[in-house]
Amino acid sequence: MKKCVSAFLALVMVFALVACGGGSTPAAETPAQPSTTSGSSAAPAAPAAADNGEGKVFNIYAWNEEFKGFFEKYYTVPEGVTVNWIIVPSKDGAYQNALDEALINQADAAADDKVDMFLAEADYILKYTNSEATQDVAPLGVTDFSNAYPYTVQAASDANGVVKGVSFQCCPAALIYRRSIAKDVLGTDDPVEVQALLNSWDKYEAVAAQAKAKGYYMTASEAADYRVFTNNATASWVDADNKLQFSPEVEMWMKQAESFAQNGYTVLSDIWADDCTNQMFKDGKTMCFFGPAWYFNFSMGNAQDAEKGCFGDWAICEGPAPYFWGGTWLLAATGSDNSSMLADVMNTFINNEDVCTKLVKDEAQFSNNQKVNNAAASDDAYASEFLGGQNPNTIFVELAKNIKFENQTIYDQLCNEKLQENYREYLKGSVDKDTALQNFYKAIHEAYPSIILPQ
Amino acid sequence: MKKKKSISYAKWGYLFILPFFLAYFVFTFVPQALTIYNSFFENYREGLTQVGPNFVGLRNYIQLFTPDANGSIDVLKYAGNTMILWVLGAVPQIVIALLLAIFFTSYRLRIRGQQFFKTVIYMPNLIMASAFSMLFFTLFSNVGPINQIIQAMGWSDVPIDFFAKTVTVRALISLMNFLMWFGNTTILLMAGIMGIDQSLFEAANLDGANAIQTFFKVTLPLLMPILVYTVITALIGGLQMFDVPQVLTGGAGTPNRTSTTLVMFLNNYLGSSKNYGMAGAISVIIFIITGVLSMFVYRSLTKKD
Repeated sequence: MKKCVSAFLALVMVFALVACGGGSTPAAETPAQPSTTSGSSAAPAAPAAADNGEGKVFNIYAWNEEFKGFFEKYYTVPEGVTVNWIIVPSKDGAYQNALDEALINQADAAADDKVDMFLAEADYILKYTNSEATQDVAPLGVTDFSNAYPYTVQAASDANGVVKGVSFQCCPAALIYRRSIAKDVLGTDDPVEVQALLNSWDKYEAVAAQAKAKGYYMTASEAADYRVFTNNATASWVDADNKLQFSPEVEMWMKQAESFAQNGYTVLSDIWADDCTNQMFKDGKTMCFFGPAWYFNFSMGNAQDAEKGCFGDWAICEGPAPYFWGGTWLLAATGSDNSSMLADVMNTFINNEDVCTKLVKDEAQFSNNQKVNNAAASDDAYASEFLGGQNPNTIFVELAKNIKFENQTIYDQLCNEKLQENYREYLKGSVDKDTALQNFYKAIHEAYPSIILPQ
Repeated sequence: MKKKKSISYAKWGYLFILPFFLAYFVFTFVPQALTIYNSFFENYREGLTQVGPNFVGLRNYIQLFTPDANGSIDVLKYAGNTMILWVLGAVPQIVIALLLAIFFTSYRLRIRGQQFFKTVIYMPNLIMASAFSMLFFTLFSNVGPINQIIQAMGWSDVPIDFFAKTVTVRALISLMNFLMWFGNTTILLMAGIMGIDQSLFEAANLDGANAIQTFFKVTLPLLMPILVYTVITALIGGLQMFDVPQVLTGGAGTPNRTSTTLVMFLNNYLGSSKNYGMAGAISVIIFIITGVLSMFVYRSLTKKD
């Protein structure tokens, strides 16, 4: 018996040693690879063929399946190349953590394990564009940005204006309302008339009171219109001295959320939680949602549900202020061994008019190609059935002219998430306002020790 | 000459226990020493930039014990949360498990289908804690089935926000920990009781002791070594409580961080910032608390000997 036990323990030890040794194997292969890598980057950036010395595996990091769907539909992968998707949800910075880990180890990774391209959101894109982890896309062959919206190029550029990637979408965002509820509350569901009644925050709050009187909610989350304020912020979350600060716009939102909570104009919920998204069903009581094309296309599944949804009972208008929200940028990772495919993917999604047109027409996207979008704006063939026959591109083209990409920091995602999370506790009455803010500061300190907090 | 003839078997003994000590040294002792070492450094990541490691002495500890603007010391608050959550779950767990163990082992009751019940009460332990928490989160959410029942029955017009009240969140966490662990404890205690010589129970019976007297005078004293082991392992597990509250509250320990445990606090520092300095300091504090409490439990339960 004892012999068995000791034999077992010895076996465990051997396994442990083997397991430790395993990690070094891929690293040992690395030195053999750089020759392939440098060979490919010297090659001209023509549409890739598998035998041009490029890697056989194209690794893409993403936080959801949205782009994966478009990629698989509209991009023809060169023969012999396998596309490997690594998808990590973004909540609590989990996506960034996984990506950072991969990028930090990029130099030591085997050629087929290297990140080739990764997706990034506006909230933290600066962290990557301003680092060595991303590379200039001009030498790869991505040089024509004449049709892309300027803010998308600016967002993908580092401090010196070197462009590190492209966005496949432009994200002007609008107010999305339920037609039937608007008719009940405002007496009309015509986008132009509704817009006239909602074109300032004062009017918006007055309508909220009207909606409440009729038994409706104005929004399904106090943070539904958060981005309308913060993506127009006149100050960044962290100032030049690394001190945390609230921009006047964030303070305006806090004030509005307070009044909405006290008056019962809104459901108190995270925008991605079931409490909020269940309001999109037919029996939901909420009049307004906020978002760009990707929101009603990708995130309003409940409204499109065949049984419980209310397909076609929606419309959009500009709302109280123009703004953008989100957007997915494709960034070129330094050390990629698939340079020509990388360039090809990027060019396809901004300059291939055929693909961009399909994105607008079949996927309800607002593409990052002005020519395609402008054509779609005046063409009735682009009317959306989901929006009851309205052509969203007409409004988006106008809104896109006013998009600003300013005052961003690398800390934005968690600042936005943690503020909403902790402030909601105050709105629900669990804690007082001061405690909620203290808890917000604590969360920021845990995530970013170097930020100086207000006391 | 004589000396050479005697054979020492000791070396075989040492050889056989060597794998354990090697494994312990590599996987437990070295990481522990490194944790303590790391706790004296400033060592974190900001974005893609690594800050440190720079030696800062006791600064991490001082920072942990500095009161916040409201005058409360966070690490003590989270230690308190952890203890409350553990006691709420562990006390009923041990009482119920003890009761069940006695029922199952009683030669008078002779419960049928013991194997079946033992399997069933052990089942919840086989579910991953995170899956279990997700299930409870969905059940008790504002739009979940429990609230639908409450509203359908007319007990409340508005959904009860279970995750906005300290009492309900803590009750749910304790309930889940109880459900997950009472089966395991029952099996352990049953093994302990079955190890007691049956003739002692018969003797007590002959002397006219009733069930309660038998339990307090015979079963409990003889079960003490196993009970102490159970309580201490439950305590160590409880101090490391993480998965259930983390998943149930989405890592936020809502409301007002009253369900944030020590390990959740540690995890907050390991998330985006990879702050090994602060996380190390918290680990050391957890280590000290665990040591002190285990000693205390051991002493108080075994002092009669």
